Amino acid sequence: MTVFLTLFLGELQRMKKYHILTASILVSFFWIGMLHLIEVPDITAFFMILVFFDIVSMAIVMIGVTIFFEKQEGVLKSLFVAPINRLEFISSKTIANLISNLITIAIVYLYALIVQDININVVGLLLAIILIGTFHSFVGFLIVYRSKGFTEMLIGMMKYFIVFMIPVALEEFGLITGDLFSNILFLLPTKASSTLITATTGGPITGEVILATVYLLIGTLVLAYFVNKGFRKFVIRESGV
Amino acid sequence: MFSIKNLQYRYPNNEEDTIKGIDFEIKTGEIFGLLGPSGVGKSTTQKILTRQLDNFRGEIRYQDKSITEYDKNFYQDIGVGFEMPVHFSKLTAEENLDFFKKLYSSRADTDQMLKRLGLYSDKDKKVGEFSKGMKVRLNFIRALLNNPRMLFLDEPTNGLDPKNARIIKNMIAEFKAEGGTVLLTTHLMNDVEELCDQVAFMADGKIVEINTPKNLKLEYGSRQLKVEYSDNAEVKEANFKLDDLGENQKFLQVIKNNRILTMHSQEMTLDNIFIKITGGS
Ligand SMILES: Nc1ncnc2c1ncn2[C@@H]1O[C@H](COP(=O)(O)OP(=O)(O)OP(=O)(O)O)[C@@H](O)[C@H]1O
Ligand SMILES: [Mg+2]
Repeated sequence: MTVFLTLFLGELQRMKKYHILTASILVSFFWIGMLHLIEVPDITAFFMILVFFDIVSMAIVMIGVTIFFEKQEGVLKSLFVAPINRLEFISSKTIANLISNLITIAIVYLYALIVQDININVVGLLLAIILIGTFHSFVGFLIVYRSKGFTEMLIGMMKYFIVFMIPVALEEFGLITGDLFSNILFLLPTKASSTLITATTGGPITGEVILATVYLLIGTLVLAYFVNKGFRKFVIRESGV
Repeated sequence: MFSIKNLQYRYPNNEEDTIKGIDFEIKTGEIFGLLGPSGVGKSTTQKILTRQLDNFRGEIRYQDKSITEYDKNFYQDIGVGFEMPVHFSKLTAEENLDFFKKLYSSRADTDQMLKRLGLYSDKDKKVGEFSKGMKVRLNFIRALLNNPRMLFLDEPTNGLDPKNARIIKNMIAEFKAEGGTVLLTTHLMNDVEELCDQVAFMADGKIVEINTPKNLKLEYGSRQLKVEYSDNAEVKEANFKLDDLGENQKFLQVIKNNRILTMHSQEMTLDNIFIKITGGS
């Protein structure tokens, strides 16, 4: 078995043992509850906002929390005196994280499909989740690198959510309008994310969608560079120092 | 196997070097003891040699190649024992070992080690529920699970009861007997005396003495024999030079005419040598 596969299966095993899987499923039931209670003529738009919230926040939180605890438990040290390299570690963790993201959304989607009537491009949504999930997993890595303790990490995540997610959400809900605001929002990776997700409900592929895709692709590569670069320093740094 | 030349190291946030230029060589098949007072840089040295810390100055060669030139397969050959817990707390001991084992191309019989160290019946318990000593024993198995050629051990018996400490020491000796090489850090001079072929004493970031334990004792000891005997129901004590002991009339008289209570040669204990060498003053 290759090192990557060992690491990846290890991640899945721990997702189960550390009840991350259970948590994902609970989150999806929470979303289902919301879908059920909310009374809107078109469930699709609401589903999209929900996917947006889930993927952005869960990707960041799951990566941050698991890496934080792995460092605290000392397992990162133990891992890095084994013949693995950081790329294998980062990729196995990111892909496992995507899988947990996909599970939550798949459950909610199945509910929406069966119980309510929803019409989306599933392949498109899958690709969007992979791209957005990867991008935000990397954001999770960078936040945990920069945090000295658990609280600091949570604050870092909060900052990201407030600065990047809330404005996009306000626009989505139609609470803030205006072209200028919309255009400024295009600077945010979260706006690109929500544009991509919304695009999977059909309609033509506009320039905006292409721009959002390119933005996230390039952004993911740039973040990957920093995630890879900062990793060694993070592992070496003693927890709490 | 390992050769270290003029090694210097400073932690990123510190103003002063922790390791201030040390040289030593670990030969294949020997147990090399690294001793010194707390905070002197023993663990730091171990971490540098195992590439857990970067940006050292000086040269470290493993099998005639600089350790910085090795890729990740460097770790196929070496086993690292940690002072701190290093396992997934929510996985069982066996799940932990299985996971780490799969990362290596060579895999030891961990069941047999678990049995030997009295952990076999706890193998399905979560490591988070292990006692301190159980974690220490598990760390030792972690270090050996890839059948390493070189073993780095940082206070492997710290916090263990005498029986388990004994087993670990036996396992270290067996590892050596099978051709393995060990760098051992410990504060227990008995362990050093029993296991180490060479010892290096560190003080203030430098190595101040390297020698075999036996030579150290000869060098620092006084070569005397202390005899306690009873003389007319009175306990008396006398010291004799070891040289020419057979011709020392007083000594011969004492052993001929008195009941001997104790008789000890007075080579210095490693404890005292430790204090003398590293004590400063
Ligand atoms: N991560 C770190 N950052 C900064 N300084 C450190 C770090 N780790 C250790 N030091 C410092 O380096 C010095 C040597 O520490 P080290 O752990 O190597 O000592 P040691 O010889 O192993 O001691 P002990 O016998 O207590 O285990 C100490 O002064 C310590 O404060
Ligand atoms: Mg130490």
